[in-house]
Amino acid sequence: MKILNAILGATALAALSLVSTVANAAGFPERQITMIVPFAAGGPTDTVARLVAEAMSKDLGQQVIVENVGGAGGTLGAARVANAEKDGYTILLHHIGMATSNTLYRKLPYKTLEAFDYIGLVTDVPMTLLARKDMPADDLKGLVEYAKANKDKVTVANAGIGAASHLCGMLFMSSIQTALVTVPYKGTGPAMTDLLGGQVDIMCDQTTNTTKQIQGKTVKAYAVTSPKRLDVLKDLPTVKEAGLPQMEVGIWHGMYAPKGAPKEAIDKLNKALKVALKDTNVGARFAELGTTPSPDADATPEALKAKLEGEIARWKPVIEAAGQYAD
Amino acid sequence: MDLFSNLALGFSTATSLENLFFCLIGVLLGTLIGVLPGIGATATIAMLLPITFQLEPVSSLIMLAGIYYGAQYGGSTTAILINMPGESSSAVTAIDGYQMARKGKAGAALAIAAIGSFFAGTVSTFLVAIFAPPLTQIALQFGAAEYFSLMVVGLVSSIALAHGSIVKALAMVALGLLLGLVGTDIYTGTPRFTLGIREYADGLNFVAVAVGVFGIAEILRNLESEKTRSVLMSKVSGLLPSKEDFRAMIAPVLRGTVIGSILGILPGGGAILAAFASYTVEKKVSKHPEEFGHGAVAGVAGPESANNAGAQTSFIPLLTLGIPANPVMALMVGAMIIQGIVPGPNVATEQPALFWGIIASMWIGNLMLVVLNLPLIGLWVKLLTIPYYVLFPIIMAFCAIGVYSVNSNVYDLYSVAFFGLIGYVLSKLRCEPAPLLLGFVLGPLLEENLRRAMILSRGDPSTFVTRPISAALLFFAALVLVIVFLPSVKKKREEVFVEED
Amino acid sequence: MNSLKVDTTNLICGLLLIATGLFFALESLDLELGTALRMGPGYFPFILACVLILLGGIVLGQAVRVQGEPIGAIAWRGMVFILPAPIIFGLTVRGLGFVPAVFICALVAAFASQRMKPLTAVALSAALTVFSLLVFSYGLGLPFRTFGPWLGF
Repeated sequence: MKILNAILGATALAALSLVSTVANAAGFPERQITMIVPFAAGGPTDTVARLVAEAMSKDLGQQVIVENVGGAGGTLGAARVANAEKDGYTILLHHIGMATSNTLYRKLPYKTLEAFDYIGLVTDVPMTLLARKDMPADDLKGLVEYAKANKDKVTVANAGIGAASHLCGMLFMSSIQTALVTVPYKGTGPAMTDLLGGQVDIMCDQTTNTTKQIQGKTVKAYAVTSPKRLDVLKDLPTVKEAGLPQMEVGIWHGMYAPKGAPKEAIDKLNKALKVALKDTNVGARFAELGTTPSPDADATPEALKAKLEGEIARWKPVIEAAGQYAD
Repeated sequence: MDLFSNLALGFSTATSLENLFFCLIGVLLGTLIGVLPGIGATATIAMLLPITFQLEPVSSLIMLAGIYYGAQYGGSTTAILINMPGESSSAVTAIDGYQMARKGKAGAALAIAAIGSFFAGTVSTFLVAIFAPPLTQIALQFGAAEYFSLMVVGLVSSIALAHGSIVKALAMVALGLLLGLVGTDIYTGTPRFTLGIREYADGLNFVAVAVGVFGIAEILRNLESEKTRSVLMSKVSGLLPSKEDFRAMIAPVLRGTVIGSILGILPGGGAILAAFASYTVEKKVSKHPEEFGHGAVAGVAGPESANNAGAQTSFIPLLTLGIPANPVMALMVGAMIIQGIVPGPNVATEQPALFWGIIASMWIGNLMLVVLNLPLIGLWVKLLTIPYYVLFPIIMAFCAIGVYSVNSNVYDLYSVAFFGLIGYVLSKLRCEPAPLLLGFVLGPLLEENLRRAMILSRGDPSTFVTRPISAALLFFAALVLVIVFLPSVKKKREEVFVEED
Repeated sequence: MNSLKVDTTNLICGLLLIATGLFFALESLDLELGTALRMGPGYFPFILACVLILLGGIVLGQAVRVQGEPIGAIAWRGMVFILPAPIIFGLTVRGLGFVPAVFICALVAAFASQRMKPLTAVALSAALTVFSLLVFSYGLGLPFRTFGPWLGF
């Protein structure tokens, strides 16, 4: 039976999309919805999007399909949505980069605060501050002292301009008011490899990429940037506990539609998002990534708007202090 | 030793009826999509990835691994039949494989590729099973300086890719390196050579360049004298390799397997060098280097084996460190995460059935590929009898779909047209595309690692010779240079007045 | 005739390589060069561009010394129809949708050959479109719009 089910699952996709569920008569959505992910398939944001899209499809009675429009730090995908038809059938799932790109890119083809309608916050992935396995410091205080004492030697890896690890690295340096040597990589993979091999000293990245390495003790972890300790890493103190409260940060994900989408569509999408975030499968998978779905209070257009505005203001000085732009 | 109990666990997992079935489906789908011209392994996997999400974790990863081998094999098939490589590795296969096909030996070339791949796959699967953890430790010794020196070795070796003028080959490498640098500089965020087009901020699309300079250029060459001569190939002579072919392929397959296995372990782009390195070695050790570029059996057998061995061993960093070695492996990580398995250093101990099941399925998948593809060779070769004017609109349509499907970026399609033109012009000027493509994949790696090494050493260039692995690699590069140039310098004196072909 | 023997192929090749090298060199100069120890974004490409110019010069030199084969026929018709095909696909796939884009792309490419008859071309393109729709849109579920907004869908 199980095999039969699986066979059906794998091969009957064609049939599925042909005989898609009969739409309920109440208007939106009458056909499939495209969720644009401004990053490549298989990445952490894509994972979040696919999990949420699947759960939303159930509530909307129409397929929500994920389309990856990667490139230029997520700005190509965002631009695509900004210029899409304003009918609610094209939506965007973007992370914190939506706010930081506003400063990182001086020639954005859209106005971040004016081009989108908000659907809601999706999740907030915490970051962890790591160092190579043989780093002498044992706690965050020790690491900060070590970094300040060896500021010409200590290297901070990141996965490229605008990446979560880049933002978190900048925040770390601005929090301890010490400029360290930044070593950029193309993606998290090579950066993590060099941290494991001890070629670089420090990296700060999303739990999605780091939890397993911390559990495997292949790196030394100092703190997590969430307000509360994580269930999967109970021994790891928060940045607040460890004495760097300004480092509290998360890679938050939000869902947007092009500005001017019908209110009915936004309402239905928001409702579907809320339902999806309560889905047990979504919750379980998010937990394995070290994150939780946003609660109802945050999964609202108002909360996302406030978050975006607040984060643009927060990152502007940090990025300007680093003096590095992406165009 | 637990190796046997582990392998037993792996095989019992992988040979469950369900998993065998998904392995077969994966291999089959991978081959069928990968064989469509202009659609390489990355595009195939990106397209097929969502299908695997519905399955059990082990089944889904086994199917995905099957898709990966299948797509690679399918990519080689198109490279041989119509000179249309979809990956950097099959670009090497295209050089001699396509020439074999033109001489009516398409069947033999395909069989050689299949058998070589299977042998290499078998050997490297066991390498993965036995040596994965210690090999990982070696791979971790590779920092920026080592990678830079490794890329220098690759660059120096590229000279052997040329079968015409060495100067032109070098110029093609330089041009390729420059094209590879198009996009945002990761160190400063400055866009370079993008002509202000944001869509090129992440660089030019490899498939667009490869399809352009190889495939489209070939179509245009075939169209240029339609009226005066028929573009068809010589009559197909036998589907299977002859006895001499078998004898000629044994040594290259063995060497290719070794080269590919070693390079595949390195997560920073070692595997892409495997096929190129093997080709260079074969041409150097061959008693008939002049056959290379005109349908040498060793020029297909070596690189194909190296490529497949590298593909297998590139799973090592993923399985032991939880770190993807290339874009395809990154897609695998995405698939694992969606399945609720976050890859990390402990996958082998936390999920032994999954870990060893995947390893066992690698071998089973390779076996299926051979069994599946040897009979299919007849079918593929028949495709060559389709009139060319029917074939190329099909090729163009699939190219467009394949290139577009990866990132939904229409500028990638404009690149296809542009590089088709460039490729045609270059072929008219008797410049070869393979060195250009090698330069294209090496360019960013070379510069990135050079600059990173300098940052890490605080601007001290001696880092390249004081680090032992790096020094050894550079010494090796110098050696290759001497070996390559000494005989040619001697020959040059005799051939001053002869055309450089 | 005591004119110099010139290999046209290498002449053009050398000139093209030099021109390309110059383009990249000039573009690199706009970027920050930096020094060998602290390389800027322009350093590495500038060196490469100079190498390319040098190699172009050598090819040019070879052109004067030896007589080569002629360039041969040029596939003008092929270029006119083959190269625009992917561009047309790119311009229409989002507006007209997947089905018309594939059809037009294949149709345009088909006319690159003089042997292709109009009716065969249409039939071939139609068959190809149906096949692609079944495999890519329905079979693999790729997120392509079958018919786009320009057609009123």
